[in-house]
Amino acid sequence: MADRPVLFDYELSANAYAVRLMAGLIGIAHDRRPVDVYPGRETEGADFRALNPRGTVPVWVEDGEVLTSVAAILWHMARGAPAWQGGDRAAETIEWLAFAERDLAAADAARLDAMLGLASPVVDPVAAARRAFRILDDRLARQGIDGAGFLVGAEPTVADVAAFPAVALAIDFGEALEAYPKLRAWTRRMRALPGFVTTPGVPDHL
Amino acid sequence: MSRTDDPVALDEWYVVGRPEDLSIGRPVATRLLGAELTLGLAGGAVTAVETETGRALPVTLAYGHVWTTLGTPTRGLPPIAEFDETDRRLATCGAVHVRASGLRLVENFLDMAHFPFVHTDILGVEDRPTVEPYDCEIRRDVDEVWATNCRFWQPQAAANAAGGQMSDYLYRVARPFTVLLYKTCPSDPARQDVIGLLIQPTDEDRSIAYAFVLVVDAVSSTTEIIHFQQTIFLQDRIILENQRPRLLPLSPRAETPTRADLSSIAYRRWLKEKGLRFGIDRREAA
Ligand SMILES: [Fe+2]
Repeated sequence: MADRPVLFDYELSANAYAVRLMAGLIGIAHDRRPVDVYPGRETEGADFRALNPRGTVPVWVEDGEVLTSVAAILWHMARGAPAWQGGDRAAETIEWLAFAERDLAAADAARLDAMLGLASPVVDPVAAARRAFRILDDRLARQGIDGAGFLVGAEPTVADVAAFPAVALAIDFGEALEAYPKLRAWTRRMRALPGFVTTPGVPDHL
Repeated sequence: MSRTDDPVALDEWYVVGRPEDLSIGRPVATRLLGAELTLGLAGGAVTAVETETGRALPVTLAYGHVWTTLGTPTRGLPPIAEFDETDRRLATCGAVHVRASGLRLVENFLDMAHFPFVHTDILGVEDRPTVEPYDCEIRRDVDEVWATNCRFWQPQAAANAAGGQMSDYLYRVARPFTVLLYKTCPSDPARQDVIGLLIQPTDEDRSIAYAFVLVVDAVSSTTEIIHFQQTIFLQDRIILENQRPRLLPLSPRAETPTRADLSSIAYRRWLKEKGLRFGIDRREAA
């Protein structure tokens, strides 16, 4: 029998939280290896770079395979659960999965700047995060017209899981989401899913 | 804002960083009491300069952190005897930025009533919310505020806790912006872990919080210990950033009675006696 997958995890990382959330929602047993990203800068060390040259968390290691993109990790985790991959709307699911990993990175940069004073790789991350939230809010508004409560269809997919942490943790940089009513309603639907797990910073009520 | 003129705030030592975050040739800009500071390394020694005036400030390395002052403190750093015990491990948890008065952070640290609701299933459980009576006094001999005989049921009191325990707490506010907590060590009930919250008040309504943990724990990795504390403090951060006003009112009547408990009342009275102004909501001052 294969070893359990290992998550190289950091409690404060939004993308690492996405992986923990996915594991909870689908029910995937795994081992956690906490990484001292801050203040220990373990991700800059030679040992960690040998595992992941990009120096980012999360990292998912399973059967000798090393995954470092949150989109790839979530897609891989959902391989036995086609509904989470969007069923016959897989391409659209990947579209929004990619959006989450690429455009919502600004929200995490804004958080880490506000919380820890870490320099942002994105110029004006708060403004960039708000632009991404506007796009998501508009998407959910259009989905609502079709009677669908999630980013792709009526059921949640990996794209929703990838997007949730950046949105739910926006309060960490002072963004209370007052201007994004559809996003707030969507976070409530996410929280109600069986197997949902939270992380420090996610408000009880949005 | 520019540097405060509050002598009570100026004449104290403050943490402004950790030595390992400084590297040669790369000055670090930070703030203290409204003044810009530049930290650096020169010949292996940590330096601190008030940026606007170019004035070199005194620097002390202690308890895993860099300390400095803008004024002339009448006393040194608070003594922490446990740092002499060689079987203890020190973990410093880095810097967390909070948009609130540093005094708010101290008061939150003293408040046990929030454990079940903010640190649910870690430092408290929702069906055991009661804070049992404890003792609190301003200790004139050392000029500190102490809360003793505090007891609280905790499902996961520390990184190495295997199950719930009745934790015994002793709180020690050693300086207006420096507070220590001594609590039952899960691996050795005869001893106490020490947790320090060291605050760098950057502006009246903004702070950087540094925490250290000095534990008797042969099991947990340093990373696990740091993550445990970071988790706890980030739960507090949300509460702190949403408190209004951001500055600390001194009158207990200014806020709900549940928060204005014994240790909070003593702390506020002690601050009032000192005549501290920095970080205090002065609108109600009469
Ligand atoms: Fe707390």
